[in-house]
Order: sequence, then C-alpha cells, then structure tokens
Amino acid sequence: MAVNRWLATGNYFTTYKEEQRIFQTNLDRTVFIAFLMVVFTWPLYFEVSSKYMLVVDNILIAIIAVIGLNLLTGFAGLISIGHAAFVGVGAYTLASFSRVLGDSHVLITHAWPLMLLISGGIGAVVGAFVGLPALRLKHLYLAIATLSFQMIFLWIINFSTFFNQGQTIFIGRAYWLTGQVARDDHYLFWYYVMLVIVVMCGFGVRNLIRTRYGRCLVAVRDNDRAADAMGMHPGLTKVYAFALAGFFAGVAGALHAYLFRGVGFESFTLGHSITYLAMAIVGGLGTLVGSFFGPTAIYMLDLKVENVAEYAGTIFSETMNLATGLRPLTFGLVIVLFLMFEPRGIANWWRISRSYFKLWPFRF
Amino acid sequence: MSYFLQLVVSGIVVGSIYALSALGFVLIYKSSRVLNIAHGQLIATGAFITYALAVWAGIPIALAFFLSLIITFFIAMSVERVFLRRLIGEPIISVIMVTIGLMSILDGLIYLTPFGTLNFSFPEFLPTTPIRLGGVSISWTQLVGVIITTILIGGFSWFFRKSTLGISMRAVSDDQLASMSIGISIPRVFGLAWAAAGFSAAAAGTIIGNITGLNFETLQAFGITVFPVVILGGLDSIIGAVVAGIIMGLIQQFAAGYLDGHWGLHGTASLLPYIILLVILLFKPHGLFGIHEIERV
Repeated sequence: MAVNRWLATGNYFTTYKEEQRIFQTNLDRTVFIAFLMVVFTWPLYFEVSSKYMLVVDNILIAIIAVIGLNLLTGFAGLISIGHAAFVGVGAYTLASFSRVLGDSHVLITHAWPLMLLISGGIGAVVGAFVGLPALRLKHLYLAIATLSFQMIFLWIINFSTFFNQGQTIFIGRAYWLTGQVARDDHYLFWYYVMLVIVVMCGFGVRNLIRTRYGRCLVAVRDNDRAADAMGMHPGLTKVYAFALAGFFAGVAGALHAYLFRGVGFESFTLGHSITYLAMAIVGGLGTLVGSFFGPTAIYMLDLKVENVAEYAGTIFSETMNLATGLRPLTFGLVIVLFLMFEPRGIANWWRISRSYFKLWPFRF
Repeated sequence: MSYFLQLVVSGIVVGSIYALSALGFVLIYKSSRVLNIAHGQLIATGAFITYALAVWAGIPIALAFFLSLIITFFIAMSVERVFLRRLIGEPIISVIMVTIGLMSILDGLIYLTPFGTLNFSFPEFLPTTPIRLGGVSISWTQLVGVIITTILIGGFSWFFRKSTLGISMRAVSDDQLASMSIGISIPRVFGLAWAAAGFSAAAAGTIIGNITGLNFETLQAFGITVFPVVILGGLDSIIGAVVAGIIMGLIQQFAAGYLDGHWGLHGTASLLPYIILLVILLFKPHGLFGIHEIERV
C-alpha cells in the first residue's frame, strides 16, 4: 500500500481516498503495530497480581461499552443516560441462558463466542426498541426517555423471579482449546479475549465512520433537517445508532458476566450509566481514541483515589467514611473540570501532542 | 370506601411534596433551559442543614427551617455562579453533564458528613396522634407539610405574577434577547432561578425529612422521581408541576394500594411513573401545560 510520503509533513491529501485511510503514514502504522505487540505480550513479561489484572479487564469492558456510547452520543449526538441498562441487557441475556439451561451448559461454557454475539444481538434489538422515541424526541427529552428505560430495566430485574430478583445468577467457567480455563488464568484469559474484541471493535468503528452510514450519523448530529434534505433518513439513522450502541453494550455486558462469573443488578445502575457518560466525555466525545482514553483515565483515577482513601483512613477517624465520599467527589470534580476547561476531552491532548511530534521542529 | 379515601389523602400528601420538589426543577429549566439532575442532592442538603441547625445547634425548629431555606438559597446561587455560568451557550450535553458532575460532587460532600450513611429523624415537635376524619387519618407532620407546601407554591406563583423580579424572570424564559435589550441582566436571573430552586428544594427536603426520616438515599431519590412529574406537567410550567405532582402522588398511592400483591406485581409505585413518562414523551412530549416547542425530525 503506497502511502503519500508528503503526508509526513502535514496536511497534503491529493485524493479523497487518501484522506479516508486508517493509517495516514507508514510511521503511524508501525507505531500502532508496535503498540499492539506490547499490549499483547506484556502479561508474559510482568507478573501482575489478579487485583490489577481485574482492573485492566474492567477497563477493557468499559472501553467496549464506551465505544458504543460514543457512537451514540458523540457521533450521532443522542444523549443516553441509560447505557448501563444496555450493558445489563447483554449480561442478562447470558443470565437467562444460565437460568434456563443451567449455569454450566455446553452452550455457555464452550460456545462463549456465540453467546457474546447473541448477547450483542439482543442488546441491539433492545437498543433499537429503546431508540424508537428518538424518531420523535430530541436532546433533553430523549435523555429523559433513556433515563426512564434505565429505571424500568432495574425494576424488571429487581422484581422478576426469573432474574432471581437482582441477586447473583451464576455463569459457568469458560472452556478453551486446552480445556477449562484454570482459576489462576481466568483474568488473563479474558484479558486476551477482550483485547481481541476491543481491537476488532476499534477497527469496526473506524471503518464504520468512513462509510456512507458513518457520515450519515455525523450529518444527522450536526443538522438533521439538512441531512433530511440531502436524502438521508434521520429517524432510521438514529434508531440504527441506538442498535449499534446496544450491540457494543450487549457484548460488553456478556463479557462482564463471564469475567465476574455471575450477573447481579448492582453493576447496571444509574450510577454506572453516568460513569459511562463521564468516560465518554473525559475521553472526548465524537472521537474514536477518546473511547480508549476515557475508561482508562477514570479507572486509573479510581485506583488512585482508593489508595489515597486507604491511606487517609489510617490518619482520620473511621466515622468519616472517606472512601465512599472521596470517590464521587473526585469523579464529579473531574467531569466538571473537563467540561469547563477541556470540553473536547483527552483526545484533544492526544491530537495536540501528535501534531507537535509530527511537525517538530516547527511550531505549525 | 374509606380505603380509597385514605389512598386519596396520602396521594395528595405525597403529591404535594412532589409538586414542591418539581417546582425547583421547573424554575431552573424555565429560566435557563438547564436540566438539573442534581436537584435531589439540593433537596437532601436542605434537609440536612435544617437538621444540623435544629438538633446540633439547638435552634428552634421553625427558625432552623427558615435559616436552612436562606442558606440553601445561597448555596444554589453560588453553584450557579461557579459551575453553570461558564457554560451558558454550550451544547446541551455539557450542561447535562455538569449537573451530573455536580450531583457527584454533592454526593461526595454529603458522604463525608455523618448524614451520608447514618439515619436521623427530626425531633417530634407536633402531636403524634393522627387526626381522624370519618375513617381517614392524616398525621400532623403530613398536614403541616401540605400546608407549608401550599403556602410556598402560592408564594411562588404570586412572585412570578406580581413582583418585578418574577416578571423579569418570566420575560427571560420567554425571549432572552428581547429581555436583554430592555435591560434585564440574564446571568442575574439565572442565579436567582437557581437560588429560588434551592429555596424550594430545602423546603421540600425538610418536609420529606419530617415525614419519612432523614435518609440520604430516600432524599436524593426525589431528584430522579421528579422527572416523570415535570414531564407530565410540562417542563416549563409551574402550574403543571403542581398538578402533575398531585396526579403522580395519587397514581403511586393507587398503584401501591390496588396493584401490588395482585397478579404477582410488586413495587409498581416506583415503576408506573416511568411508564407514564415514556407514554407522555411519545404522545404528548410537552406535557399537560408545557409550551409546544418540540421539534420533530
């Protein structure tokens, strides 16, 4: 694949095809491949305690969910305060299989890639259904509609005996080519699975954005009447966007269920929906890289706060319950500060630093 | 029949609290088009301040209530000044997210106080024997709550109808550019709207705290329950907030009274408002009294 070598010096596109390329220069591709290799091999060189491996796994799940949310909120401009419920739909799809077939049925333990796809599919269907109000509603009203979906979802989980009234529903251990995944390898195994899925999702979305439909999404966000006049179908585009977000969330939910080997209502509350939204905003709405930065930043922050709270707990009296207080406090502060001082999120820092290195030694 | 009347009475009590909580929400939305998700936290803050003043500082409860209204008034005003003022004219998602961030910050601050995890209840200052009227009973706290709510809502509607400040606030909600050109300071009106919302939130919080006891989870849940109410009434209508609050209270009580326990249903009182919310959004998004301004795609 011949790459226009003038691109290394700045914006020098000569064809549209060139502008649409995933990797614009050879250096970009080399760096990316090197990065992937590091990501895939680092667990072989470092001994990671399972506590931190769990955090990494959580980040990857959140990345998959946030990619979906970013498509919905960032690219299509539809605010969703119910994304955790979509994730929950995926997880509870798996849970209902477990309830009907038993938690260690062959389908669940051996055919987990199929289950991931099914969960994603159900998530997409539910997403499209929830997105139906988007045909009539905009902005605020749509946000409130998704919020009510979140509340209705929680009610259904909490009050139906089929879903064990929100108590944990167990999911069996997965099998790999070499047999059942051992207890010690559990987090590592799912790390690799999720890594592959994240890479696939990333390329999928990157490709989606450059298709006709991806441009439709952005056009509908920017001005739906103009998009309508250009022959797009804003309503359908929005419902598709919800379905796509539902798919990503569903896959993330199923992975969550497998990783924790159980499903309970407490992972899909309104607070989690808000966290996903915050991740998307901190990362950068409407950018693909933002969906990777956001969850990582928020989880890292959480870890730090936990450490600080643990340390502070030894100094102050225990009645202060610092840990429960500090987490929402810093979380809220981060959201507010980002919105006030860097509304384009970490992705903007990434863009600035990239162009700095690209243009060095010149300023612009 | 008396069961039905009892449900009506408790529905009106709950409904008037909803009305008062929704009032503050509507005030903010009406003037500045901000969806204040942190309203439940404001309600809780007001209630906790009243408690702290009345019990820890030993101030008489009526005075403590009054002081708490004033303090929350200024807290809400400074919240607007610090967080929302910068975001005037930003996209809608930023504004929503800022109130979400605010909610988180207030959550954190409240969790740092004993109120976050422990339960408190106001000292009894009213007769504990409920009033009975032909098979229907209502407790004194509920009665006083309803009376205070009525007075406050009456006061607010007088304020918006007659006072210069209230009229200028209505003018801003009607047309910002026009009201700016006749010399109304828009940031000041926004600040005032938040302050008034804080005022009503503190009143609502104290009344709820008196009836149900001070529990942070319960109090902040009102910030979310207020959504169905304001959507039903119309996001920018004060009358709508009151009427919809009472309707929602009645619906919840009837659901709890007649639906729960039959056909295997439980907890319908917490579900029904959201179903109504969705139905209203689909068929009549501006609610009962809201201004028709929904743009269809």
